[in-house]
Amino acid sequence: MRNGFGFKDFVMIVLLFAVAIGMWLSMVQRDRQWELLQRVDGRLMDLEKRLLQVRSTAAMAPISNSPATQLANSNGDAWARPGVKVNHWPAPSPATDPTEVPGFAAGGEFVELFEAQPAKVVPYIASDVYATRVLDRVCESLGTFDPKTLKMVGQLSDGWQIDPDGLWIRVHINPAAHFSDGQPVTSEDVRWTYMDFINNPLIEAERTRSTQDNLKEVKVIDDLTVEFRFQDALFTNILIALGDPILPKHYYSKFEPSQINQATGLMTGSGPFRMAKLPKGPDDLSNQWTPGEDVVLVRNEQYWSAPAPLAGLRFRTIKDDLGRLVAYRNGEGSMMLPTSPQFNKVTKEEPDFEKSSYALRWVNMRCGYSFIAWQCGPRAGKRMTPFADARVRRAMTLLLDREKMIRDIWDGIGIVSKGPMNPESPGSDPAVSPLPYDLEQAKALLAQAGWKDRDGDGILENDKGDKFTFEYTYATGGEISERIARFVKDSCVKAGIVMTTRPVDWSRYQELLKLRDFDAITMGWSATSPESDPRQIWHSESTKEGGDNFTQWINKDCDALIEKGRRTMVEADRMMVWRAFEACVAADQPYTFLRVAPWLRFVKRDFGNVNPYRTGLEPQEFFRVSPTPAMN
Amino acid sequence: MVTYLVRRLLFMVPTLLGITLMVFMLLALAPGGIGASMQAAGGQGNTTGIAQQQAYLEDRYGLSDPVIVQYVRWLSRISPIKFGQRDVRTPRGERISIPRPIPDPSLTSVFPPPRKPQVVFTPSTGDQVIPEFKLLQRDSEGSRREYVGSMRIFRDALADVARVVGPPLVGRLDGKGGAKPSDFDDLLPVLIAAQESAAREAVSQPSVQATERVRQLADARLKLFEAVHSMHTKWSRAEETRQRATIAFMANPYPQSGVPIIPDVITLDTSDFGVAFSKNRPVWDLIIDALPVTLLINLIAFPISYLIAVPTGVMASVRKGNWFDLLTGVLYLSLYSIPTVLAGVFAIGFLANNQYLGLFPVSGLHATTADAMPFLPSRDVAGVWQVGWLGDLLWHVALPVLCLTYGSFAILSKQTRASMLDNLSADYVRTAKAKGVPRNDVVVRHVFRNSLLPLITMFVGIFPAMLGGSVVVERIFSVPGMGSLVLDAISNNDRDLILADVLMIAVVNVAALLVADILYAVADPRVSYE
Repeated sequence: MRNGFGFKDFVMIVLLFAVAIGMWLSMVQRDRQWELLQRVDGRLMDLEKRLLQVRSTAAMAPISNSPATQLANSNGDAWARPGVKVNHWPAPSPATDPTEVPGFAAGGEFVELFEAQPAKVVPYIASDVYATRVLDRVCESLGTFDPKTLKMVGQLSDGWQIDPDGLWIRVHINPAAHFSDGQPVTSEDVRWTYMDFINNPLIEAERTRSTQDNLKEVKVIDDLTVEFRFQDALFTNILIALGDPILPKHYYSKFEPSQINQATGLMTGSGPFRMAKLPKGPDDLSNQWTPGEDVVLVRNEQYWSAPAPLAGLRFRTIKDDLGRLVAYRNGEGSMMLPTSPQFNKVTKEEPDFEKSSYALRWVNMRCGYSFIAWQCGPRAGKRMTPFADARVRRAMTLLLDREKMIRDIWDGIGIVSKGPMNPESPGSDPAVSPLPYDLEQAKALLAQAGWKDRDGDGILENDKGDKFTFEYTYATGGEISERIARFVKDSCVKAGIVMTTRPVDWSRYQELLKLRDFDAITMGWSATSPESDPRQIWHSESTKEGGDNFTQWINKDCDALIEKGRRTMVEADRMMVWRAFEACVAADQPYTFLRVAPWLRFVKRDFGNVNPYRTGLEPQEFFRVSPTPAMN
Repeated sequence: MVTYLVRRLLFMVPTLLGITLMVFMLLALAPGGIGASMQAAGGQGNTTGIAQQQAYLEDRYGLSDPVIVQYVRWLSRISPIKFGQRDVRTPRGERISIPRPIPDPSLTSVFPPPRKPQVVFTPSTGDQVIPEFKLLQRDSEGSRREYVGSMRIFRDALADVARVVGPPLVGRLDGKGGAKPSDFDDLLPVLIAAQESAAREAVSQPSVQATERVRQLADARLKLFEAVHSMHTKWSRAEETRQRATIAFMANPYPQSGVPIIPDVITLDTSDFGVAFSKNRPVWDLIIDALPVTLLINLIAFPISYLIAVPTGVMASVRKGNWFDLLTGVLYLSLYSIPTVLAGVFAIGFLANNQYLGLFPVSGLHATTADAMPFLPSRDVAGVWQVGWLGDLLWHVALPVLCLTYGSFAILSKQTRASMLDNLSADYVRTAKAKGVPRNDVVVRHVFRNSLLPLITMFVGIFPAMLGGSVVVERIFSVPGMGSLVLDAISNNDRDLILADVLMIAVVNVAALLVADILYAVADPRVSYE
């Protein structure tokens, strides 16, 4: 008599659902096939277009190679300003030729594991380190740092002139250079990149724009020559003019500024790789990389210089440290950045690991340094700290055994830092070594400065009877900073100094830096190029609001050296000034320099020509040794 | 019922206002603020450059206004009812508002600004409208930026003067050594008096310090006057370009946006959640990217946990005290007591690691070759079965789903069991049994249906949790979902993103509670809201 919902009804409904879902799934399946077909079709059309381009350039070739053109070139630089030295550069080539390395083969994909997700990869608008790593493969600038010598050499440029007075730089673009869509790189692209992209207030390139205050104008001289003019003669002019990537005007000007600001994967240039997904125009914006996917680069088949051996690069983000190592071991990644304990454990405890992987550790120009900063001025505008006396600061450095710190805190990975210059930079004097660990000398210096144990309680006092105590501020969230704090505290006790700690949140920490409200603080500076303008951190002008001279260290000699160095355009001379500056900082010790962190990388031995350079790694030179058969 | 619904919906508004206001205040109290995460990397850029950049950002996001003003501004952005001039909308859907008014120069009582320019300007017509508007917009934005920067330089110069002069001016500087211009109404007399006394001292008792002081005062004064001049010129220019851009805007270069209620006074338009500055993308885009991922994982995880926990709960209650009850009880509770972090690490370390089992992938949602896969499992050219795109996806989410589900078994099954036991001992059950109703019917049709009520409450609570995402699981398995988004937003102090997240979670929470109440009425005829 039951007319309720029975088992049969249930089975029927389940079956109906199953059929409906099956139909829907097969429709999706069809759709994907259709999309794939479309993609293949699109690629075919692309290839046809390129073929046509190649054919037409081939037809043009005899004209462009006519004797007249050659004469102009060999006559030497019709583009150049007379009377000023011209630097000539060949087209960019690999620092180590991969084709001459045994086992060379073309093809294969290289997967780099990122620790954090870039929010976007758009030149100038994205500024994090991960976006930069992608950018370095896709875009090129007029000049670049030579991986072996760290000197500025031509990339898109085949020659330039630098005004001895530093007010202008004239650059000639390599006539062979073209973007990944086949269009040539012209002086108009350069002008447009600087004046209408970076310095367009509607484009959110604030970060780069604020470094270009000194740029007055970029003037097009002829199709391939462009001149940068500056308000003030500073060495950073060279970095501004030659170091920023050049964008194709014909591509980016298709988009509204707001579209560029909000895009996530609008990146194209003239480099050896190009984005696999790139919108063709404003109506195609859905076809771009978005966070959450892997960043996929494919070889730029039309690269204007030696093409990259790898068929593609892929950047995948794995935030969890353990997950990253496991993924790397499982073969889901070809390169990863291990943590120091991971590096030590794997290299020391697993003899087989280095049979399948390179475990690389080296110092390069991108290595920053960590330090303890001592408050040299009034704390928060009020009272002076004991560290106002340079002798006390020197003593603090002497009583810290930095070798031991690196051994105990950083698992032995790192070298003792000696000053503000990157140790790889020519601006750092290799003959100078860091202050030694010497407790006795430290105590003597403290006594000279008036800090003695006057009442026999083991703590130093000054002549007014004040005890030597100070507060040590660090940002919470890292085990490392806590271990440093403990180490410093123990070391201070040995010299009769009482240290209290103040752990604070990172945003509070930044506020304290701004207010100059600390006695001692620990931090690190990063580096991106062999030299950077020291004014921001070390000049007395930067003690003011907004400046990074938060120790309020004022040294007139040093100010003079900074000003002199900034205005020295000749590289070799400038490096000598930087060495003097380094010595000046070392003598005064506003910071106790702790450690230069080397780069650590695991790279699979499936890849060849992996060379740790002074600039970092150059994946466009890598090649896949034994291309394993594709996964499917 | 309808009155009840209306009342509940009306109550939602003050609740949401309260929640957002509280979060807004907490964010404003947090030290560092927006600037902390926007600081330049250091070692690059010059001091004035960074100060100017900060001034520009403060101006753009209105950070120097009082918190309550910022809150009201945020409310008016997300509110669908807009006041004032209607926005225009470009063909690509971008909304452009009328150019904002330019703030007045600082300290006008001491340094009277030049006359406000009055631009007479006829915007072009036809093809030229849009390019001209774009150009004017760019000019206006650029000159505004320069002006705001020059105001910052003026303030710094003022602070320098105060420091050099000493008391009484120096006492007016704030804790950060910055100057609030309106506190310096008597600047000129004090400065001149200081210069005079310094000069007199230098003449009467010549010394190096005295001459140095005269020089310092003169320097600071010169810098201040230069800053005033530049501020005034830039103000004129900014005002002029703004007026031009406004005139061009009023000529409607693009179609107007929204539905007018009273033209140019009240408009209905879509909410604008703003831009997440830490990622420099519209908040809404970010949520649209992250939400499907979280929903996918949760929509797989929750049915699984219900399908396993509820039936076992029912069975445990029917056979109360026997081996099955004990076994599931012990098993579920021990699973419940494993922290997700640990489980995630073990899952990666053993289940995913090739050195051990290597059964699952470690991270992400797709294999690197996923793009080339067919959607469904199918045979490839060589005749070998391939798992396909869908299978690959399921294989990738297996571990996150596992970590999300195992802990919920205990709560769900214990809850089911408890409410089943309540009902099993009720009188009507005894009556039904006495009537001779089959045992299964008693359990399923009578007891289970009556035990559903607490499960409804729990089920509805799931949705807000889904929006929030599982922070721990998403982080361990590198899943780009809502949990990762919220975590990033909080660590970057990204105001608009946090507020949008909070608002969404709050709305869904309140709505879910309402749905729960309605479902109660549906499931239990005894409940009524009349």
